[in-house]
Amino acid sequence: MADPKTTGPKGQAGKPQGSTWAALRRFWPWARPYWKWLAVGAVMIPIVAAVSALRPLLIKHAIDVDIAGKDVVSLRLTALLFMVAVMAEFFASAAQVYALQRAGHATISDLRRSVFRHVLTMPARFFDKTPIGSLLSRSTSDVEALSETLSFGVFTILTDVAVIVSIVAAMAVLDWRMTLVSLAVGPVLAITVRTFGARLRALQLEIRRAQAVQSGYLAEQLAGVTVVQLFGREKAVVREYERLGDRFLRAVKTANWYDAGLYSIMDGIAALCIALLIYFAAPYLFEDASRSGVTLGLLFAFIDYLQRVFVPIREFSGKLATIQRAVASLERIYGLIDEPAEGRSGPGAKDPLQGWTGGVQVRGLRFAYREGANEVLKGIDFDIAPGEVVAVVGRTGSGKTSLGRVLTRTYDGYQGSVALTTPGGPVEVAAVTPDALRAHVLMVQQDVFLFNDDVAFNVSLGEPGLAGDPARIEAALRTVQAWDCVQERGGLGFNIGERGRNLSAGEAQLIAFARVAARQPTLLILDEATASVDSMTEHKVQTAIETLLRGRSVLVIAHRLSTIRRADKILVMQDGTIVEQGPHEALLARGGVYAELYRMGFKEDEAGAADGPGRGNSRGGSAVAPA
Amino acid sequence: MSLAVRFFRRYVQRNLPQYALGFAMLVATNYAVVRIPTLIGAALDALGGTEAAALATGQAIALELMAWAVAVVFVRTLSRVLFFNPGREVEYRLGVDLFSHLLALQRPFFLRRKVGELVSMATNDTMSVRLLIGFAGLQVCNVAVAIPLHLWQMLRTDAWLTLWCLGPIVVGGAYTISIVRRFYAMIRVSLEELGKLSDRVLESYAGIGTVRAHAAEPAILARFEERNQAYLDLQLRLSSIRAFSMPVLWLSGLVGNALVLWIGGDQAIAGELSPGSLMTFMGLLTSLVALLMAVAWVLASVSRGIVAIRRIDEVITTPDELPVPTGTITIEAPPTLELRDLSFTYPGADAPALQGISARLAPGATLGIFGRTGAGKSTLIHLLSRVYTPPPGTVLVAGRDVTTLPLEQVRAGLAVVPQDPFLFSTTLRDNIRLRGEKTGHVRGEDGEREPSGRGRPQALAEEPDPRLDRVLRAACLVDDIKSLPEGLDTVVGERGVMLSGGQRQRTALARALYRGPGLLLLDDVLSAVDQGTEVKLVAAIRGLHDDAGGLMSAPPTTVIVSHRTSVLEHADEILVLEGGKVVERGTHAQLIARGGHYAETHRHQEAARG
Repeated sequence: MADPKTTGPKGQAGKPQGSTWAALRRFWPWARPYWKWLAVGAVMIPIVAAVSALRPLLIKHAIDVDIAGKDVVSLRLTALLFMVAVMAEFFASAAQVYALQRAGHATISDLRRSVFRHVLTMPARFFDKTPIGSLLSRSTSDVEALSETLSFGVFTILTDVAVIVSIVAAMAVLDWRMTLVSLAVGPVLAITVRTFGARLRALQLEIRRAQAVQSGYLAEQLAGVTVVQLFGREKAVVREYERLGDRFLRAVKTANWYDAGLYSIMDGIAALCIALLIYFAAPYLFEDASRSGVTLGLLFAFIDYLQRVFVPIREFSGKLATIQRAVASLERIYGLIDEPAEGRSGPGAKDPLQGWTGGVQVRGLRFAYREGANEVLKGIDFDIAPGEVVAVVGRTGSGKTSLGRVLTRTYDGYQGSVALTTPGGPVEVAAVTPDALRAHVLMVQQDVFLFNDDVAFNVSLGEPGLAGDPARIEAALRTVQAWDCVQERGGLGFNIGERGRNLSAGEAQLIAFARVAARQPTLLILDEATASVDSMTEHKVQTAIETLLRGRSVLVIAHRLSTIRRADKILVMQDGTIVEQGPHEALLARGGVYAELYRMGFKEDEAGAADGPGRGNSRGGSAVAPA
Repeated sequence: MSLAVRFFRRYVQRNLPQYALGFAMLVATNYAVVRIPTLIGAALDALGGTEAAALATGQAIALELMAWAVAVVFVRTLSRVLFFNPGREVEYRLGVDLFSHLLALQRPFFLRRKVGELVSMATNDTMSVRLLIGFAGLQVCNVAVAIPLHLWQMLRTDAWLTLWCLGPIVVGGAYTISIVRRFYAMIRVSLEELGKLSDRVLESYAGIGTVRAHAAEPAILARFEERNQAYLDLQLRLSSIRAFSMPVLWLSGLVGNALVLWIGGDQAIAGELSPGSLMTFMGLLTSLVALLMAVAWVLASVSRGIVAIRRIDEVITTPDELPVPTGTITIEAPPTLELRDLSFTYPGADAPALQGISARLAPGATLGIFGRTGAGKSTLIHLLSRVYTPPPGTVLVAGRDVTTLPLEQVRAGLAVVPQDPFLFSTTLRDNIRLRGEKTGHVRGEDGEREPSGRGRPQALAEEPDPRLDRVLRAACLVDDIKSLPEGLDTVVGERGVMLSGGQRQRTALARALYRGPGLLLLDDVLSAVDQGTEVKLVAAIRGLHDDAGGLMSAPPTTVIVSHRTSVLEHADEILVLEGGKVVERGTHAQLIARGGHYAETHRHQEAARG
């Protein structure tokens, strides 16, 4: 699965990595497969440039030679050549655009895939600190922003430069003095463009920020519209929106002045240059042509050149700015790609856990979510025998959820030993690649995530062997009491809706259990959901859990008394350590922490801020459903 | 038609002076734009002559040309600004009006429309409108003025030649128009595909925990690739149009130039046309083609803009479906609450959610609502808080029918704690107080800290708020605040620290208590809270008037919904709902004695607690 393009030099995420050129150079591996199309595009550059420079020469010829000499035949020839030049430019340009578009879109498609694939293998810590909106924008909008700009921008800039160079060269060859006169305004123009451009860029940054803040505010207030209305906040909220919009409006209006000014200046400059040229060249026209070399036709040619040299110049700075913006997007994408991924075993690698029956030995386990943060596991020792059901109980913040995360390598970086007892000897969890580990250890979390797809996919999750076997999927659903509610809705093809909208919370739980039943993991880590469901589904859920507990090792973070009673062994955790251990009756008799928890019903706040980062609710509690 | 008139009157009319001036500038610009090639031609002709004054004439024209060149810069800038800035104003106003109206619409509307759609309307659709009246407006006016001027000058110079070189342009134009329609239809489809691709990506990221746990990355990647490939295919089809069809108009202009050379050259040789006029002609032709090419882009903006106006208008004119109030009320003291044979069916549902609910609550009393999921409990809260409008005469607050009272006044006296609380991306403090809201976008798009609109939260000195302290104690939040990185000033919500389910519920409770309502509605708020905390909260709600200094002078009339009997133990009356009907009622003790469904569930729940 390793993509060589994404294991490049690890720059610091988010910091600009040097020049525009470096960023573009790094982009090359994605573009390389399409080099043939790029070559076509490149080859067209000199053709287009040459033909561009040719046309005014034909006009000069027409004026000086054909019309002056009243040579109709020659004129016709000139006109014909002009036509040919025009067609040549059209086809060369069209071929260039087509070739670049093909290369560009294919490259962007590959880049998008690379980014997506990379993000899929990011460790949990990365997702904790990165808002999902930011990930989405890098994976989609930033890539899109590249699409037009890179496929067009870089090459057409090169074409523009080639055209400008060939025009200026042609002018200089014809008459260097006139060339100087024509381009006398150059420096003034450059300074003006620079000043305006700098001001515009600063304004645009401000504009983008203001706009993001304003639309973010809007989105949030609409998502929480019920709260806004119930608490009578409508007017206040609109006022705030107006204030934010005002900031945006003022910036934009100022930008419009600079933008219009720049546009108009670039527009008028050609005429000014032509006027200057005519004024200063005029006297030479009346001198002897053989001495001054200035003919009417030459003037015609120069005017035509001038009319056409400013268009690419005008667009040059705009295109450059677009490229710079695209490079900014590229930098953000690289920042994302440079984040280290979770390891993955190569295809065809041997399974290090073959023959493992589910025995686990934990010794002196210490773990913290972040470097230097408080440890949430402060020295844990316990065993899980093959086929044993171990329940873990404790208050919020005791560290129980972290156990499962360490065992599945959702989070790395523990101290101590977590060993899986295989026939070939104890294998440390840290030594097994995460995907090999997860083929045998399955963790079911409190919040079930369902995909906007049919039941079959939501159970199989596309796993080869499972996805194409409806019989197995149905069997799994039956095992966990979920088949009835699936069948009455039309069977495996029933679409669950966005985030599982069409199912109740209890039914979603059952689907999660079906996933386990279909996979038969050696070790199951079950984080029981705490939210109450209606009693009928609750019964099904309990029965399903019963079924899943048999035939494998289980570590269950338990909240239901029925589950806890069923366990072979109970671990009572407090403040990151195991304070009591044993079966239910014995612990109850002790009258200690366990007894207290028992009195409280084992219910507590869902794991959240206190027990390390969590992703929050994906079903309920999402900030994007109208509250 | 009336939509256009309404839109014009409300948004465009106030900018009319700017537009008028802009249009005048536009006319001036185009006049200058036509003058310039004409002067160039004249200068060349003058210089081609041999009279003694030819040089002087030529140079004089050159000077005039310079003046026009400078003039163009000014008038063109003005014309653009005068068209674009009002467009931005309209965009702003439209967005505010839309938002304002959305906030007046009630729940049934928001069930029909996704939030994402509405945000897109307020940002993208208003932008389309702005492009319509700003950019498109400018181009259309520009072309409307420019084409006649160009044609007039060309015809004046040589009518015959004009007709000849217009030929290819007309052909090119017709071709482009037919292509543009198809092109933009394809662009629309490709944008939809991009949207679907985005959805897939978002879904995959949101469910990454599940994907990772089941090692399902290859399958998810394959799903993504389907959409990615579909999008690529569309883009490639667009490429050939972009490459070969779009530049046809430009080609036709150049073909026209070739014709000028051929035919015009002939005439020049014959002495019917001056060489300068040839130059003028070519210049005007190029300018004309550039204008026409701009029009092609404009067509798309125009159609998009019109669609956008229609969409926005549809929302802005959506009626709020609220009954017209006939009286007023100010709820200061806790009111009586009466339900008279309340029945309610959700719009579009077959069966009623509630049937014949009656109850009477004295000021400060507590009504418990018990039942299973789907029994109608939340519906009751919705009707009491008027998220949905109850039938007339069924809900009376302080003896008045709520449907006769203005919505804001009814809501001003009550507070609701919903089952699934919503937190804004702002500090915990502001989430509770809901006033003086900082915009809360302290985290920018890249997860970096950006200063919020009014400076960083810590920089502001917060005045002590005893009311807030009391509320925090009552809602059992004091310990939780200590565990947050910045205490009350911690930013919570989507872009901040994610609070646990129980913490969110208690925050919502604090929010409601802070308001000091006369009527307090609690919708299954203690489901995610552990037993110990639950007991404390229930006591706090009941004992509000015991607090030193008092949050409120008297405890609010309270309606608590729960499926846990322990929560409802102290209610003055409990209604047991099933299928939307009251099947049992009484105090906790009475219901236990009855031995019905309530009693049975109570036994169950007590047993489960051991």
